[in-house]
Amino acid sequence: MSLIIRCPICGKRSAYEFRYGGEDKGPRPDEDSLTPESWCDYVHMNQCVAGIQKEWWCHRDGCGLWFTIHRDTINNLEVQHPEAQS
Amino acid sequence: MGFLMLKKNKRFWQRVALQSHYDAVIIGGGLHGLATAYFLARQHGMTNVAVVEKEYIGFGGAGRNTAIVRANQRTPENIPLYREALELWPVLTEELDFNLMFNNCGNLNLMHSEAAMNAARMNVATAQFHGVESHLIDARQCKELVPALNISEDITFPIIGAMYHPPGGILRHDAVVWGLAKSASRLGVHIHQHTETTSIGVENHKIVSVDTNRGKIYTPRVLLAAGGYSAAISYAMLGIKLPISVLTIQAMVTQPLKPILDHVVSSGAYHAYANQTLKGEIATGAHMDPWPNYTTHTTAYYIKHQAEALAELLPCLRGVKFMRHWAGLADMTPDMAPILDGNDLIEGYYMDCGWGYFGFKSCAATGKYMAQFMASGQCSDILKPFALRRFAQHRLMGETAALVNYSPDN
Ligand SMILES: Cc1cc2nc3c(=O)[nH]c(=O)nc-3n(C[C@H](O)[C@H](O)[C@H](O)COP(=O)(O)OP(=O)(O)OC[C@H]3O[C@@H](n4cnc5c(N)ncnc54)[C@H](O)[C@@H]3O)c2cc1C
Ligand SMILES: [Zn+2]
Repeated sequence: MSLIIRCPICGKRSAYEFRYGGEDKGPRPDEDSLTPESWCDYVHMNQCVAGIQKEWWCHRDGCGLWFTIHRDTINNLEVQHPEAQS
Repeated sequence: MGFLMLKKNKRFWQRVALQSHYDAVIIGGGLHGLATAYFLARQHGMTNVAVVEKEYIGFGGAGRNTAIVRANQRTPENIPLYREALELWPVLTEELDFNLMFNNCGNLNLMHSEAAMNAARMNVATAQFHGVESHLIDARQCKELVPALNISEDITFPIIGAMYHPPGGILRHDAVVWGLAKSASRLGVHIHQHTETTSIGVENHKIVSVDTNRGKIYTPRVLLAAGGYSAAISYAMLGIKLPISVLTIQAMVTQPLKPILDHVVSSGAYHAYANQTLKGEIATGAHMDPWPNYTTHTTAYYIKHQAEALAELLPCLRGVKFMRHWAGLADMTPDMAPILDGNDLIEGYYMDCGWGYFGFKSCAATGKYMAQFMASGQCSDILKPFALRRFAQHRLMGETAALVNYSPDN
């Protein structure tokens, strides 16, 4: 199935114009208290949610903006306001 | 008539009642779950084992893959496992008393640049060092082996040579599922289809039970072998995150043709591979969605890509029709190597996942060693490099030469 993503600048475009940037994992861990485990968790580990997840995208073939969306990984549809729904 | 024959013949595996206790519960009736169950029963006398499968056995990658096998991987950690897996096909065909239709036609991995040839030289040297037959050949030799191949300069990525791996080939993937299930069942393993694991019970860092939609099972051992669903299960049921991205991967077959292709041909640059099945179809793959999803949907985008690639590599296929097109899930890790682990974070909890698109060729040997691990509690040396802790220890394996554009990180 195709995926349509809404870029905050360019509007709705085919996902093939974008580059997926991973699950949203919050801010980069603080350098001072960093352990191999916490760094590994930030860099490699995923929740792989079968459902709605918050994730990063870059409009690679467009304006170049990095932004987050919510998407349902089961049907590949962007979800506008997941918090409001639940 | 077919219906009557089906009714008369005995099922390959028995339908049995769900017990409340098992010595081991295997989550997932796919290749790795069934192979582990088979070896637990056959080699370790552990027969009080349940395989719980949420749909039917072979529903996952086991029934969707293109059944290509080879042992010319890139790293010294991976090659021994794949080598043993490759050597096991003829042994299993006999042991299971089931025709797995192993066709060791050989694999040709095409190279389209001098840089790729150099990388292949290293692959070939590593394989040879580990006793796996692998050669570097030039374009003319490719043409001799596969006359249908287009070695002209006049294509997008002209062929310069190939990594030739004679002992690899293809099998009948369904036969592997059925053969393993039949023998495991005969040895006493319970295969429960339409039985979905809904939670895993842990007390004092030990596995105690597995909940399913058909009831609770008490058990001291669980193997996570749920293919593309493993990472989601691991996080949702145990809070353990895995370094996995789950991508939908597609494949297709053409209408059946007379024999024209007697090798598996693959190309990284064209991002395509093809082989001719015993039925005559050209089986070809494999596009991956460049973002994670669980849709298992096919795309028109990919049909076009594949038609363009095949029309250049194998021009005799121009005008040939695609007949079927399907997709499954690939659980990719950052180093293209699986996660094989156990008894570490939780006593009695074992993992066999992260196989991406390599989990068919590896299932026999992995099942053998995972069974040994689960029966004895001791991890054999061949599995040790694949522990989950390698990611925190920065010991990722260098299988990524085969990398395709699958994640945000490359
Ligand atoms: C299109 C395609 C082409 C491929 N080509 C090749 C190839 O040529 N060569 C190769 O080596 N590999 C190939 N692969 C990869 C290979 O198919 C997989 O790596 C392999 O199937 C993994 O085996 P598995 O046992 O881990 O998982 P699977 O075979 O996917 O089995 C997992 C099972 O777990 C079940 N399950 C999931 N959740 C639950 C739950 N909660 N409770 C109970 N059961 C559950 C699923 O229904 C499924 O049946 C390909 C894959 C695809 C999709
Ligand atoms: Zn934009």
